[in-house]
Amino acid sequence: MSATLPEPAVATTIRTPIGEFWRRFRRQRVALIAGLIILLIILAAVFAPFVAPFEPATPDYDNILEGSSALHWLGTDAYGRDVLSRIIWGGRVSLMVGFLSVALGAGVGVAIGLISGFFGGWVDGVLMRLMDVLLAFPGIILAIGVVALLGPGIDNVIYAIAVFSVPVFSRLVRGSTLALKQTLYVQAARSIGVKAPLLMLRHILPGAMPGVIVYASLRLGTSILTAASLSFIGLGARPPSAEWGAMLSDGRSYLGVADHLTIFPGLAIFVIVLAFNLFGDGLRDALDQKLR
Amino acid sequence: MLKTARTLALIAALAASPLTPVFATHAWAAGDVVIGLDANIVGLDPADLNDNLSMTASRTMLQGLYGFDKDMKMIPVLAESTDANAEATEFTVHLRKGITFHDGAKFNAEAVKISFDRARNPENHLKRASLYQPIKSVDVIDENTVKITLNAPFGAMINNFAHQAFAISSPKAIAEFGKDLGRHPSGTGPYQFVSWETDTLKVKKFDKYWKPGLPKIDTLTIRSTPENGSRLAMLQAGEAQFIYPMPPELVKVVEKSPAIDVVASKSIYARYVAMNTLRKPFTDVRVREAMNYAVDKNAFLKVVFAGYGVPLDAPLPSNLAGYSKQGAPYPYDPAKAKALLAEAGYPNGFETVLWGGNSTITQRGMQFLQQQFAAVGVKVQVEPLESGVAAAKIWNVKTPEEATTMMHYTAWSASTGDADWGIRPLLYGKAYPPVLFNTSYYNNPQVNADIEAGLTTADAAKRTAAYNDAQAIVWKDAPWLFLVSDDNIAAKSKKLSGIYVLPDGQMLTEEAALN
Repeated sequence: MSATLPEPAVATTIRTPIGEFWRRFRRQRVALIAGLIILLIILAAVFAPFVAPFEPATPDYDNILEGSSALHWLGTDAYGRDVLSRIIWGGRVSLMVGFLSVALGAGVGVAIGLISGFFGGWVDGVLMRLMDVLLAFPGIILAIGVVALLGPGIDNVIYAIAVFSVPVFSRLVRGSTLALKQTLYVQAARSIGVKAPLLMLRHILPGAMPGVIVYASLRLGTSILTAASLSFIGLGARPPSAEWGAMLSDGRSYLGVADHLTIFPGLAIFVIVLAFNLFGDGLRDALDQKLR
Repeated sequence: MLKTARTLALIAALAASPLTPVFATHAWAAGDVVIGLDANIVGLDPADLNDNLSMTASRTMLQGLYGFDKDMKMIPVLAESTDANAEATEFTVHLRKGITFHDGAKFNAEAVKISFDRARNPENHLKRASLYQPIKSVDVIDENTVKITLNAPFGAMINNFAHQAFAISSPKAIAEFGKDLGRHPSGTGPYQFVSWETDTLKVKKFDKYWKPGLPKIDTLTIRSTPENGSRLAMLQAGEAQFIYPMPPELVKVVEKSPAIDVVASKSIYARYVAMNTLRKPFTDVRVREAMNYAVDKNAFLKVVFAGYGVPLDAPLPSNLAGYSKQGAPYPYDPAKAKALLAEAGYPNGFETVLWGGNSTITQRGMQFLQQQFAAVGVKVQVEPLESGVAAAKIWNVKTPEEATTMMHYTAWSASTGDADWGIRPLLYGKAYPPVLFNTSYYNNPQVNADIEAGLTTADAAKRTAAYNDAQAIVWKDAPWLFLVSDDNIAAKSKKLSGIYVLPDGQMLTEEAALN
C-alpha cells in the first residue's frame, strides 16, 4: 500500500539557503547581466598587467591627444598615454576603493548596529545620536570634510567614504536586531543561557545579513562614484595614478579638442556604477523576506 | 531604481559640468566692450598692486610719466622728455601740459610730487614702495618740471617710471579718500571709474582725455571668469569681446570660427624650475646640469602649451631688453643626465619634491616634469600649493636655513621691460625671500657684482656688458632648470580691435574699437 502513496512533498521542496537564493536570483535577468559585467571588470582589473595593451604611465610625446585608432583603441591623453590601458589600471583603484571602503563602513556599521539594537537603553541612545550626527551631513560633504582633516590621497578617500557609510549600515542592522531579538528562536537560545556575544553573532547577525549584503552592493556603486568625485576635485588619487575621476578631471581641459579623454573614463564610471546598482536591485528582490 | 536614476544624473552632471553654458545676463550696446580675465581684480590703487590683472585694470584709468606701446617699448606718456645726469642720480622730467584728472584736478609737477611721495612713504605700507626705494626726493622745479633725485645711481630708473606702480593719482582724490584711494581711482587715463564689484570692473569713456579721438568706445567692462571653458563660452556667446588667457589646448576649437580670432604674441615670461642651491643634492652643479639635460623642452611646450612658445636659451627671455643668447638650449639628453648624476654620486637617482601653483596648466607642467625626471631615475613628488600655502612655505621664509624649498616651478615677467628686473629679483645674492624672489638661493659674487654694475649706471653699453656676463655665468651654473618662454595667447571677436596683451601679460585698452 505504501507504494501508492505520493512522495512526501517536503522532500523535494527543502532547499539550502544558497539554493533558494540562486533559484530566485537567476530569474533577475538584468541583475545577472550586471553581475557578469562586474565580474569582467574585476577580472580585467586583477589581470591588468596582462590585459592592458600599454603601460599606463609611460608617456609618448609624439602621439598626444590622438583619437581612437587601431593601435590606441580609446586614443591617447595629453602625455600620449594609452587611455584604454589607463582605464583598465584605473579600475584597480576604483574597485579597491569601492570594496575596501564598503567593507570598512559595513564592518563598523554592523558592529554598532548589533550592539545598539541588542543592548538598547542608553547604549542605543548614545550610539544612535552619534549616527544621527553623521547622517545629518550630506554624504559628499562629510567625505570632503574627512579628507580635509586627513589630507588628500587615495587611502584617506577610503576612510572618508567608510565614515559616511557607517551610519546607514548601523541603522539597518539595528532595525533587524530589534526585530530578531523578539523572535522565538532567539528567546529560546537566551532562555538556555546563551551568552550575549554568541547570541548576537550566531543567532541575530545571520538574520540581518541579507539586508547588509543588498545594501553593500548598492553602496559599492555610490562609493566608487564618490571616490571619483573626490579625485575629480583633486582630493583623491594623485598623478600619475590612473583613477577614473582624476582622468575625467584631467580630460576636462580638453573638452572640444579631445572629447575621448572625458567620454571614456566617464563611461567607465557610468557602467560600473550602473552595474552595481542593477546587481544590488536584483539581490534585494532575491533576498528580501518581505517580497517572498 | 530611483537611486540608480539619481546616480546616473549625477554622473551626467559630473561629466558635463565644464560645458555648462554661461547665459548672457545683459545685452551690450554697440559701444560697450567686455574683457574676460582669469582672476579677480584685487585692488585699483596702482602703488599697492603686484598682480598683472589688477595692474591691467588700473591702466585703463591711471597713467604714469612713461608707459609702454604694444610691443612693450617704453614711450613717454605724461612726460614729454627727461634729462638724466651722467651718474644716473638726477632725473629732470618735463611734463606734458594741459592735462586734467577725471575729478577735474590739474595735472602738474605738484601732482607728481604728491602721488610719488604718498606711494613711497613707508607709513602708508603700500606694496610697491620697494620700487620707489631708490628715490631720495621729488622736487617741483616749476609748474611743468619735476626733479627726481636718487639715493644712489640707478640706470633703469626711467623703466621704473613706466611701471604701473608709478601711475599718478589725482592729488584731489588722494586728499579726499586717503586709504580708500583704491576704491575711488582717479587718473588721467582714457577711461574713468564707474563701479567695481568682486568680479566686475566697469569704466566709461573720459570725455576730456588728452589724446584726440580716443577712446573710441563708451564703456569697458572687465569680468573675471576663472574657469577656462566658461571664459571661452563667454566669447563664443558674444558676451565678451576679448578673453585672456586663451587656454592653449583649446585654440583648435575656435581656430576655424568665423567670428573669433586667436592672437598669440611673444611674451617676456621666463618659465623655470628653481633648484635650491643650498640643499643637497642641488649643491652640486652636475646634478643641476643633469636636470637641465633630463627635460625635453620642445615636448614640454607641445604638451603644456600646445606648442606656443620657445625654449629658453638664456636666463632672460629673448624679448626682454638686455637678453643675451647663450648658445643652444640645453639639449634633451637623458643618457648624459644619468652620467652626470652618476658622476655626482647618484647613480640611482634621488627623491625630491617639486612645488608650484595649483592652476590646471601649472599642474600639467609639473606632471610632465615628473615623468621626465622619472626617466633618469629621479623620483619627484609633485605638490601643487594653494597661494596662501605657497606664501608661507616659499615667500615668507625668514632665513635660507629655514627654507625647505627643493624644486620650485615658477615663471617671471619683468614688468619694467628691463634686464635689471628680470635678473635681480631672482638671482641676486641679496634677493633671498622674504625680500625678493631668489628661490634657488643662488649667490655668485661675480653675478652680484654684474647686477650692481648694471644698476649703478645709465650707460647702455656698460649695462649690456654687465648683464651679458651675468647671464653667461648663470647659464653655466644652472641654478635653474631653464624651460621655456611661453607665448601670451588671447582670443577676441573679429569686430574688436585695439586691445593688446603686452609681453609681460598686462594689457593695453586705450585704442579699443568696435567695427
